[in-house]
Amino acid sequence: MNRRGLALLGAVVLVALLLLTLQSRGRSSQAADAVAVVTTPVQLVLSRVHRGAFGLWATYLDWKNVRAENQRLRDEIRGLRVDGLAVQETVDENRRLRRLLDLRARLPLGTLPAEVIAREWGGWVRSLTVNRGRGDKIARLTAVIAPEGLVGRVVEVRPGAAIVQVLTDPTSTVGAHAVRTRTSGIVEGDPRGGVRFKYMARDGSGITPGDVIVTSGLGGLFPRGIPIGRVTAIDDRGSALFHYAVLAPAVEFARVEEVLLLTGDTARDLAAHFPTDG
Amino acid sequence: MFGGGIVQATLAPALRIGDVAPDIPLIVVVLLALRRGSETGCLAGFAAGLLQDIATGGLIGVQALTKAVVGFGVGALGGRLRVTQPLVQVPGLLVLSVAEGLGRFFLLKLFRFPAPFTEVMTYVVLPQAVYNGFLGAAFVFALLTAESFRDRSS
Repeated sequence: MNRRGLALLGAVVLVALLLLTLQSRGRSSQAADAVAVVTTPVQLVLSRVHRGAFGLWATYLDWKNVRAENQRLRDEIRGLRVDGLAVQETVDENRRLRRLLDLRARLPLGTLPAEVIAREWGGWVRSLTVNRGRGDKIARLTAVIAPEGLVGRVVEVRPGAAIVQVLTDPTSTVGAHAVRTRTSGIVEGDPRGGVRFKYMARDGSGITPGDVIVTSGLGGLFPRGIPIGRVTAIDDRGSALFHYAVLAPAVEFARVEEVLLLTGDTARDLAAHFPTDG
Repeated sequence: MFGGGIVQATLAPALRIGDVAPDIPLIVVVLLALRRGSETGCLAGFAAGLLQDIATGGLIGVQALTKAVVGFGVGALGGRLRVTQPLVQVPGLLVLSVAEGLGRFFLLKLFRFPAPFTEVMTYVVLPQAVYNGFLGAAFVFALLTAESFRDRSS
């Protein structure tokens, strides 16, 4: 340890003690004030830099939090959308079932509600499978309806299920007539997936688009007066004996979920129980 | 050193853990004293302490005196310490911080500092000493790493 170092230490200690003594005697350090003139602006700048840096950090943290929150909210929205869809599905189902129940209550014949559990929508066959079968005493050729109108007939009965041939099936034929003109004819399935009304031109010259076609009840298979569809176009075949009217089916076969199987007396007229406004 | 005192008053609060803030100028003084010797350590300690006293509005001269003594002592003993060893760094800085705290306390007691010794030691000096020890060790590690990078690149 050299002398210069010790001398320096001694000087420093002396200065410090002197400063302390002066302060203890009530003399506020003017030197300190002078130094403060320099230190205060530097402190200010440092403080701003520090605040800026921390502000940046805080912004980053905020951004990170907002991002996490955004993700959480997105997930929540996704969940809510799914929930919403489920609720909407339930509401729709509820509405359909209410309509079916109303119709069932209105109809003056025995019915059995059934749920569509499968669809066959190929060009050759158009059918629905419902969850009623042999155990429910369903007979072949039982008429099947929806609140909007005729769906088709049962063509196959199995244990626990039945196959319903819908009106658009190319082999489907139903006796029908136009409500307004009473023109009789046959509703046939179209291989393209449509339905058409085949009638004798002599009787049906007055059929126009908008006319409602309902079951005629002839043959005893379907009760009279069940809506089949509405005429959308006339296929005028000149002097041919039969003309065709293109129908828009009353029932949307692709969307029907619940149906009624008519198990009672099918000889009755049901026209009053369906909204035909035609 | 000029910045050191101000940095302590301005930035150290940001490094606070609970109520414990590190004494950055003390760490800087110790590092300088170890590298440059007792005279530099003494002057640096005095300057840093003085600026800390002024910047923080304390009794001017207290920290100037304690840090000058610490700087001088570390500078004088520095050659015998292996500061690259973490086992030396952390306890070394801890002991120095406690010594500085004790010195400051007894100096202030001369000027009627009211706080009891046990409380000052328990809640101020010792926690800060521990913090200084670890922060100082991190400084040393960072410095050594930077130097080894510099040596490799040159």
